Amino acid sequence: MDIDTITPEDFLASAKHFIEISDKIHDGWRIYEHKNEIHKSYIKKEAFITFKSQNELCLYKIEYVIFYNLSYGVPSFSFNVWNSPGTLLKLEEIRQMCFIQITKEEFYSVITQQEHPIFHRPYFIMHPCHTAQLLKEFKNKSRNIVVTFLGLISPLLRLNLSLEYGL
Amino acid sequence: MSLEQQQQVIQYVPFTSFVHPSFWHSLTDIKLNVDKLNESTKQIYGRFTYRDDIGTVFEVDGTSFNKVPETEQMYYNVTGTIMNKNTIEDFKNIDKAALLNSIGEIIWPNIKRKTWISNPNSLLSFIILSFADLKKFYYYYWFAFPCPSQPTVYLIDKSQPISTVFSNKQLEELSVGFKSLDIEQKCFFAITKEGESIYVKPMSKILDPNKPTQNAIDIDVVFAFIDPSNGPNPGWPLRLFIAALLDHCPSLSGTDVTIIGIRSSGSGTLNNSNVYTIAIPQNLQKVDSSGWVGWERNDKGNFGPKLANMSASMDPIKLADSSSDLNIKLMKWRLVPDIDVEVMKHTKCLLLGAGTLGCQVARDLLAWGFRHITFIDNGKVSYSNPTRQVLFNHRDCLDGGRKKAEAAAQNLKLILPTVNSKAIVAHIPMPGHPVGESLLEETVTNLKLIIEAIAEHDVIFLLLDTREARWLPTLVAAHHGKIVINAALGFDSYLVMRHGVGLRCMESAVSVNSTYIPGGLLGCYFCNDVTAPGNSLKDRTLDQQCTVTRPGVAAIAGALAVEVLVALLQHPLRVEAPALYNFNGDEDIASELQGVLGPIPHSIRGFLHSYTSVTPTCAKFKQCIACSDVVINKYREKGTEFLLKVFNSGKYLEEVTGLSELQLAAEMTDILTFSDEDQDQE
Ligand SMILES: [Zn+2]
Repeated sequence: MDIDTITPEDFLASAKHFIEISDKIHDGWRIYEHKNEIHKSYIKKEAFITFKSQNELCLYKIEYVIFYNLSYGVPSFSFNVWNSPGTLLKLEEIRQMCFIQITKEEFYSVITQQEHPIFHRPYFIMHPCHTAQLLKEFKNKSRNIVVTFLGLISPLLRLNLSLEYGL
Repeated sequence: MSLEQQQQVIQYVPFTSFVHPSFWHSLTDIKLNVDKLNESTKQIYGRFTYRDDIGTVFEVDGTSFNKVPETEQMYYNVTGTIMNKNTIEDFKNIDKAALLNSIGEIIWPNIKRKTWISNPNSLLSFIILSFADLKKFYYYYWFAFPCPSQPTVYLIDKSQPISTVFSNKQLEELSVGFKSLDIEQKCFFAITKEGESIYVKPMSKILDPNKPTQNAIDIDVVFAFIDPSNGPNPGWPLRLFIAALLDHCPSLSGTDVTIIGIRSSGSGTLNNSNVYTIAIPQNLQKVDSSGWVGWERNDKGNFGPKLANMSASMDPIKLADSSSDLNIKLMKWRLVPDIDVEVMKHTKCLLLGAGTLGCQVARDLLAWGFRHITFIDNGKVSYSNPTRQVLFNHRDCLDGGRKKAEAAAQNLKLILPTVNSKAIVAHIPMPGHPVGESLLEETVTNLKLIIEAIAEHDVIFLLLDTREARWLPTLVAAHHGKIVINAALGFDSYLVMRHGVGLRCMESAVSVNSTYIPGGLLGCYFCNDVTAPGNSLKDRTLDQQCTVTRPGVAAIAGALAVEVLVALLQHPLRVEAPALYNFNGDEDIASELQGVLGPIPHSIRGFLHSYTSVTPTCAKFKQCIACSDVVINKYREKGTEFLLKVFNSGKYLEEVTGLSELQLAAEMTDILTFSDEDQDQE
């Protein structure tokens, strides 16, 4: 293929394949398929993480969501982190947690908080133009676009992707 | 207590509640759309995991309110109730102990009737007591996990890994048997040993619900429960299990009982499960009379409610504010790292004129992150206004029209509720417009309002429709050293300029060869016209009767006015930021003449006819009728008395400044003093 975008059907097929592997290795990803509007399908994983804040180890929950970005035609990555009462962490708090191993300037140019196109609530979303750039290089070699995509961004995140996915 | 083994009162690890943000969204939705003012008690679901890498976390989320719970691997669903109170007083005043006991009175009969043997999940339950402050998006909540406080049993030694009692082969059999158990039987079950093999069995295969009590269990059996704990002590569910078990099998008193805490690895193996050996004392205290416990401790370690402050992610007003803020921050993060985003938030802008220019300027100020905007205008919104004056709509014109200043201030809040916008309805007195006896009191009141407003704000925008109306605010702002941004429109031309400040003319004369003029020494709107070179487009721009402008002119001029202000605020010298002088456009601009956003011109004159603009710079005029030292000193000396004299006769200014009558007369009808009002206004 010589175009840089994928169709919602491509995305869904890749996502389903990804979930099969996740189920096999108990990786905790789940798929939420939208039958009528395929582009609203997404995959999600929740995990607990601990961070030391003010010398106290605190428990947080992180939610990763990969959805289809209709205007860019690429998978999009979004996430949220919250504490036990359910209060979302702010952008600056997330950066300070070194949740993402990236410089401050790069962090802000990649991640922004905005209303999620599917959930209509605030999420941190990785700007899709970066995704499009990255995927462009890997598109033709990719067997599963979701795996390729996660493989590209997982070094930035505390998201250890198992080799079982066939990276 | 024997010497070789240690016995300690068993310590159950309590649950820690963990709420998903979507739980509050669902609760809010139900409260607003279903319950409304009803104070209902609802059945909900919560869940905990027996995975060994998470801990004793008890979770609820948006699906907790569903009719059927969602299932997740290695999680166990528990049925509970939520009592959402209508007021904080009800929330505080409810008898917490009585509430727990009332739940106990539901659970305990299940134990007595033996229904728990076939439905072991009926032993587990939880309560959420809550109060939702939906104005602030504060949620007060308190979880309880009801348990009878008795009986007290003892843990012998430390808990042991399961490998001390089961072989690898038996562990495999346990894993297979556990998987095949019905989901609701998984919380409490039995393991029997026959020869070398072990079998997983539901409780009802071991205990007989038809017998009031059972003494001898004649087969080799150990009991098991799913254990949320990942430490040496058992999780909370064991407490209920032991109470139920001892009620049915009182003969266990005085014996040691082995119980397995099932703990699963991430991949589903049960090899990290734990073995507890529990000593049951001879004389057990009765459950019935002992009361129920289980309220969760808060973050301070006390028994008390927790608070979820969800305003940042749920309050639409805060969301709007932070989202629009983010746009400006993105500019800083991505493009202009040295920009100061706070200065806009704190700078107070006074807009004189709430017409085409005023509306436009206000919108651009909002976009740049300004949050303090005050309008002064005396007019009303008319039917012709909304198409050009972008803050108004048709409704503002009805019933004679709303006051422009008030409509503009309120409509700005409709765009961004957190903006601090105000309205002052006042007519601006003008030179040569005599104040009659009947209007004197009102004029003095207006003067006071306007002068105070200028003193209280940091930036004064002159967006008025007549030249004369600009005189008073120019003088007063120069006297206070305020930043003044002036915008005026012609049919297809505009002028946007910044003013210098008062009492600076004499400090240092500007050399004709200088490359810049310090900001404080720049001319005002009135100096400029006298000293400005002859205007080539005089015929077009002079026509004061024609008050219609090309619609794009106000948008361009308004936008430039705000951009000039922002550039000025981002310059370390602010109002003193220099303007380039004698600049021929070839050489590089010295960095000290630039701010974060580039060099800041004194004025911008644009011509839509040719789609061009120029940026002339002019110094203060010593005899200026508005900003010269002599005028300002006169104002300082005589105050209102001086102003009234000027209003009564323009000639008085001529006397004060020494300008010839001719010049002054010419000035008063000079260029670029277009009304931004529409024809029906004049
Ligand atoms: Zn002047």
